[in-house]
Amino acid sequence: MRKKVLQGVSFALSMVLIPTMLTGCRFGFASDPDDPNEEVKEEPIDTSLDTFEYDSSLSGTNITLLNSKAEIQVALGKMGEEFEKKSGVHVEVMPVTDDSPYTKVVSLYNSGNPPTMSILDTTDVIALAEEKGADLSDEDWVEEAEDYVTEVNGKIYSLPLCIEGRGVIYNRAVIEEALGETFDPESITTLEEFAELLDRLSAAGVKKPVSMAKEDWSLGAHHLQFVYETYDGTSEGAQEVIEQLKAGTMDLASYSRMQEFLDMFDVLREYNVAKGDPLGADYDEMAIDLVDGKTAFWFNGNWAWPNLSEAGAGNEDEYGFLPYFMNNDADDFANQKIQGSPSKQVMLDGQMATEKEQAAAKEFLNWIVYSETGQQMMVKTCNLIPPFQNNPYEPGDPLSRDIYEKVHAGQAFNASAIVPNDHWSVLGAAMQKYLAGRSDREELIGAIQEYWEEQE
Amino acid sequence: MKSKNNGKDFCIFALPGLFCFIAVVIIPFVYGVYLTMTDWNGVSAVKNFVGLKNFAGVVKDAQFWTSLLLTFKYVIFVVVIVNVMAFGIAYLLTRGMKGQNFFRAGFFTPNLIGGIVLGYIWQFVFSRVFVSIGETTGWKAFEVSWLSDPSKAFAALVLVSVWQLSGYMILIYVAGFMGLSEDVMEAASIDGASGWRKMRSIVMPLMMSSVTICLFLTLSRAFMVYDVNLSLTAGAPYGTTEMAAMHVYEKAFTSRQFGVGQAEALILFIIVACISGIQVYLTKKKEVEA
Repeated sequence: MRKKVLQGVSFALSMVLIPTMLTGCRFGFASDPDDPNEEVKEEPIDTSLDTFEYDSSLSGTNITLLNSKAEIQVALGKMGEEFEKKSGVHVEVMPVTDDSPYTKVVSLYNSGNPPTMSILDTTDVIALAEEKGADLSDEDWVEEAEDYVTEVNGKIYSLPLCIEGRGVIYNRAVIEEALGETFDPESITTLEEFAELLDRLSAAGVKKPVSMAKEDWSLGAHHLQFVYETYDGTSEGAQEVIEQLKAGTMDLASYSRMQEFLDMFDVLREYNVAKGDPLGADYDEMAIDLVDGKTAFWFNGNWAWPNLSEAGAGNEDEYGFLPYFMNNDADDFANQKIQGSPSKQVMLDGQMATEKEQAAAKEFLNWIVYSETGQQMMVKTCNLIPPFQNNPYEPGDPLSRDIYEKVHAGQAFNASAIVPNDHWSVLGAAMQKYLAGRSDREELIGAIQEYWEEQE
Repeated sequence: MKSKNNGKDFCIFALPGLFCFIAVVIIPFVYGVYLTMTDWNGVSAVKNFVGLKNFAGVVKDAQFWTSLLLTFKYVIFVVVIVNVMAFGIAYLLTRGMKGQNFFRAGFFTPNLIGGIVLGYIWQFVFSRVFVSIGETTGWKAFEVSWLSDPSKAFAALVLVSVWQLSGYMILIYVAGFMGLSEDVMEAASIDGASGWRKMRSIVMPLMMSSVTICLFLTLSRAFMVYDVNLSLTAGAPYGTTEMAAMHVYEKAFTSRQFGVGQAEALILFIIVACISGIQVYLTKKKEVEA
């Protein structure tokens, strides 16, 4: 009896285990924005011309690069191979799998085996730079990156990898088809005009023309940080607001940008396609809705392109950004410009890496900025918007192209608020509550004010 | 002679195990306790001794106490439902019904799927499948995603945990039921005990050892829940389903208050250790020999 049971159980177990083992390692949603298995269509790279000078004494050095931008994992691997072919330096690209980049890099440091270079968020660089980073202030590329480098107490510890921008993404074809007229994004200059456009679209059949993500990183970081960043459109201005909030000298409820931000947020919320259940909205579906024309707008950034592309959008389609309209003053920069700032930074280990490894890593960074191959691969293989003005290549996808053009035409403002690391999660929750209509302005503003007063 | 050998035997058999235990359990634990009294941020080379400041931080962290309370609520639901259900199903599956081996394996299956994967699968079920069922049938209960309402999201968490844990407990109870001596059962029947009387006076006392194990496992697992919590709700909607273990992680790694997070982890450990200790003591007392 007992033997029979065991046989039965083990047979059943093996039947269950086999499919689990086969599928387990590839689990992930089809259009997961961070899915490293995602295939990226790429343009061919012309490697015939190469005027970059390699230091032959570095050949044979092994360096590591910790990558926290999952969507370029494969592309970075290719860049590393190409660089090795030319320079003899082996670059091992390690992905950050399930931890946050900061947690990962800290655990690597604590185990005495840190990566030579790490791709981190700006806040992480600021937290780690003085303790662990190598001083890069004297590198040549600093000049090329102009306003996009991050200084920590007057020194530069990181290379800005790319510019990312956010705003209200539009699908031009949907708007034109619904309204039966050509759509000029620049004709919308105020919140009133934007609301009117939404109204017309709604009447023309696109009933709820806006998608907005319920995710706390979207609400807490991408939406809410406009409150700080639109102070005067600079990172310094954003910092000033934050300092005042921390010190308790600013009354958030009477700060005009706070109310203006919520005015825009309310408009988006009113026309939200998931208005019935805003916290049940599905991120993957938003991309599909925008491409299929169920909606015409989606609040997001240029990193959303892989999702749109997966949902069927092509490079020839016309997508672009509208600003996050704050009020009805057409001359206000917040209504004219979209936000575009460096988001990921490469920090070089200055604590454990040998001098040779540091030199090889610096060569790799220079190669990205100056070599013809590196420049092309940044734009075409990794699909990034490089912050370096000497890079002549233009991004291929419509969203990145729009940001690229706006940055070059002066229609983007470079401000990124440096907020505590749990800002997106704590205040993201407060924003979710407001989005779902379960709290009012007063409660939300109170929560934000309280959060800041608790910070040291 | 015997005592001479003891030292050598101890070295050969116990020392390697003891060494591993000290290296991976005792030292990290003591070090962890030490860290609760420093201001270490996880990175810096210097650790300043700050005494009990981190514990004061825990007292002030209202969200921690809210999640702890929620965790208690969750533990009560999960432990009761899982054990009652597993006991009942195991009883049915040891009565010689047709296809019982198939059912035993079937109920055990969810336990083989890792918590993270399971959470994502159920997230899809709750937010997509149920909603589309609600749309087509017009059932009010499924109209909006369960995960966007605080109390329904909590119910979803309990449901998924029960679904996952029951199978394992069924297995232990089945083993317990199969270990019951036929002689005793027969003797009970001859003595005139049947149905509820037999269950209460004969089966239950003999099953207490299984109950001890199952209660202990469900208690500790439910208290420490993290994976399902993370992948199913991630604390959503707006942080209302954040359990204690998840809050500790968030405190340490997202808010980067390692000291406070570590102190909270220690408090959680003490609570879980006390409760499961009391439970094992109480149920052990009820165990009888056949």
